[in-house]
Amino acid sequence: MSKRKFRLANEISTGSNVVLNIIFVLISIVCLFPILLVIAISFTEEKQILLHGYNIIPREFSIKAYDFVLSAGDAIMRSYGISILVTILGTILSMSVITLYAYPLARSSFRYKNFFSFFVFFTMIFGGGLVPWFMVYSQLVRIRDTIWIMIVPYLINGFYVMIMRTFIKGSVPEALMESAKIDGAGEFRTFFSIVLPLLKPGLATIGLLSCLGYWNDWYLPLVFVTKRELFNIQYTMYQTLSSIQFLTSGSANFAELGKVLSDLPGESARMAIAVISIGPIIFAYGFFQKYFIKGLTIGAVKG
Amino acid sequence: MKLNRKLLTRVFAVVLCLVFVLAGCGNETQPTSSETPSSTTPSSTEPSQSATPAAALDPVTLTFYCVGDSQDMSGIEKGVNEYLKDTLNITLEYECFGWGDTYTPKINPMLAAGDPIDIVFTSNWAANFRSNATAGYFTVLNDYIKKYPGVEQVLGSDFLNATQIDGKNYAVPTNKEKAHNWGFLLKKDLVAKYNIDLNSIKSLQDLEPYFDRVLAEEPGMTPLLSVQMDGPWHLLDWNTFSDDDVPGALYPDNRDTKVINQFLAPESVALYKQQREYYKKGYLHPDAATQDNFSAEMSTGKYFAFVAPMKPGKAVEMTQQTGVEWEEIFITPIVMSNREADGAMLAIPVGSKNPERAFMFIEKLYTDAKLKNLMNFGVEGVHYKWSDDKNYIIPIEESGYKTSGGWRFGDNFKDYLTVGEALDKAQQWEKYNASATPLLNLGFVFDATNVASEVAACKDVVQTYYKQLFTGSVDVDPTLARMEADFKAAGVDTLLQEIQTQFDAWLASKK
Repeated sequence: MSKRKFRLANEISTGSNVVLNIIFVLISIVCLFPILLVIAISFTEEKQILLHGYNIIPREFSIKAYDFVLSAGDAIMRSYGISILVTILGTILSMSVITLYAYPLARSSFRYKNFFSFFVFFTMIFGGGLVPWFMVYSQLVRIRDTIWIMIVPYLINGFYVMIMRTFIKGSVPEALMESAKIDGAGEFRTFFSIVLPLLKPGLATIGLLSCLGYWNDWYLPLVFVTKRELFNIQYTMYQTLSSIQFLTSGSANFAELGKVLSDLPGESARMAIAVISIGPIIFAYGFFQKYFIKGLTIGAVKG
Repeated sequence: MKLNRKLLTRVFAVVLCLVFVLAGCGNETQPTSSETPSSTTPSSTEPSQSATPAAALDPVTLTFYCVGDSQDMSGIEKGVNEYLKDTLNITLEYECFGWGDTYTPKINPMLAAGDPIDIVFTSNWAANFRSNATAGYFTVLNDYIKKYPGVEQVLGSDFLNATQIDGKNYAVPTNKEKAHNWGFLLKKDLVAKYNIDLNSIKSLQDLEPYFDRVLAEEPGMTPLLSVQMDGPWHLLDWNTFSDDDVPGALYPDNRDTKVINQFLAPESVALYKQQREYYKKGYLHPDAATQDNFSAEMSTGKYFAFVAPMKPGKAVEMTQQTGVEWEEIFITPIVMSNREADGAMLAIPVGSKNPERAFMFIEKLYTDAKLKNLMNFGVEGVHYKWSDDKNYIIPIEESGYKTSGGWRFGDNFKDYLTVGEALDKAQQWEKYNASATPLLNLGFVFDATNVASEVAACKDVVQTYYKQLFTGSVDVDPTLARMEADFKAAGVDTLLQEIQTQFDAWLASKK
């Protein structure tokens, strides 16, 4: 009575199973270790870092870094709020816009779909350049220094539109929409009641991507926002980190460099900001995950 | 059909809601441009106490963007607005955007788009002065400088003219140190312990016996700190034409006008070899090539010597910053170079709607000690208080504001003293500035447009090799050979030739 006999056809042997598991455990450690290290450093006393370098177990435990970051007052908390607001609003809006754009492109009955496909595809290859782009938002659509400047520029993304169009084409048969039409549904009802529920995996994919995009963005505030109260968490962090990098790179030479350097937040405070900024976005993965995997596999294998 | 309409209504409701939200947010955050002057206008009949005869200036809003990482500028804005109400009558909008890496990408598009900014910080390391000025983004200030002579009186014509491009002033430099030199900072307790006569130290070699003693007697200590370019390299004090990591320099003693590649000069090679010896002997930290923050390293108290830019009161300043006591020794001669002239400047972008008022404000930063300190340290009693003997000011930590340095604008010598600074700081500085030798290329502006790609490529070469060579972490000869070959491939000869041509033309035009 060996166990072998009961093995399922697609089951792998114990040996390869162990090997595979070890490989994946190693990969997980490689992924998790830096994060654990960042957390450990954020709890380490600053002087110990300078003297002994990084340690995964703090030589001297300290919550000073968090004290420092949180006592910087509402600046961090406000930027945190801005990030959350922008991410939620931006993700919902961009999902809506992208889906509504992609849906007609996926319908074979839409006469101008080639033009509009090209229109969006074009933006994936050519950009207008920084200064014209800047002028659009500072002179044509005057939304600089509002919360919308961090949302609108990323509302539509050519690549996501293409993903969505392909997804709709693959998962919603044209016949389904025809039958809805035969049953008397108008375009809106067809879309909202028939098509949309089938798009959940696709929406989750786009949603996760744009959610991450919005959360991790520091570039829009960097270029467009001059009001401190609108800085998001990533930009607040970027400003701190890049200042340090710039000032220590040797390209800034002014006599007071030493003074400026000594005022910068220490190693542990930077790590504390990083830990805080990881924050809620980690939950986004969990939220989108079950759809996300489906979204990746669906369309890949078709029976 | 009925259902269909219901759905439609829903969609419209959502769209309408969005429109309202959009509109709401838009209004909420756009008060700057629509600010009405009516409510704040002081009556023009009020006699003006200021020296400026303009009694009834219209109220204007001035935007001032600067480097720095200070937070919460609203208190300062309020203080300034109140202070200047009867004279300049401005509403100041003042903001700092970090240092070079975050300041430059934010400011440059604004300048290119012609945004209505009134005053910006510019320099050779942030929002590059030369490229922005030659691109025509800055207002020419010559007429204003004549009309409001305060700036020139404080700076002196020589220093001001050193920042001209083709005879035009596009920005005004801060009145601060006008010269530089390099020297050693030595840890004070060890200087006392080894009984070192500071006057006997004239070069790095003179310190070697003490390095040996540190190695033998002080376990855990490293004799010499060398972090990136901040190390013995500076003792050569090459008179560079561009950034520190771009080839092209003259000897600092004004011996000739031949542009050379300072990274391959015999003196530099000798230094690399010396550092290699030091590294092998353990004078340098084994990780020296990857360290980046000299200030943080110094504060560990684990180093005996450091090569630092000198100025009167340097040791006191570094003692304050690092919490470790230092002694200073001047080594290289004091020279006046472009490094100081365009290290910190203020310019008026062409988009400014009130360039004259902006300049009047700038002038006041040079002539009005109260305003200068208000901009730098904040409001008395709110952001700082005076020490008991009234000599020093003490920042109030809880105010949430912290200055990023008075050297960024105006007359740095009008700054109040902070604890630890010498009472005769201004006089010491005057003496230091007066003792400086002007370098041959002072006031010459190298225009890199023709050789932009060579500059970038050579920069890459320098960045690839300099850390290892400066800290002695690698064998000199093979690395040097590779660096030389890479320099050739990067077009260093074209670059040097271009600098030479421009420099010769400038020299000829000066005669």
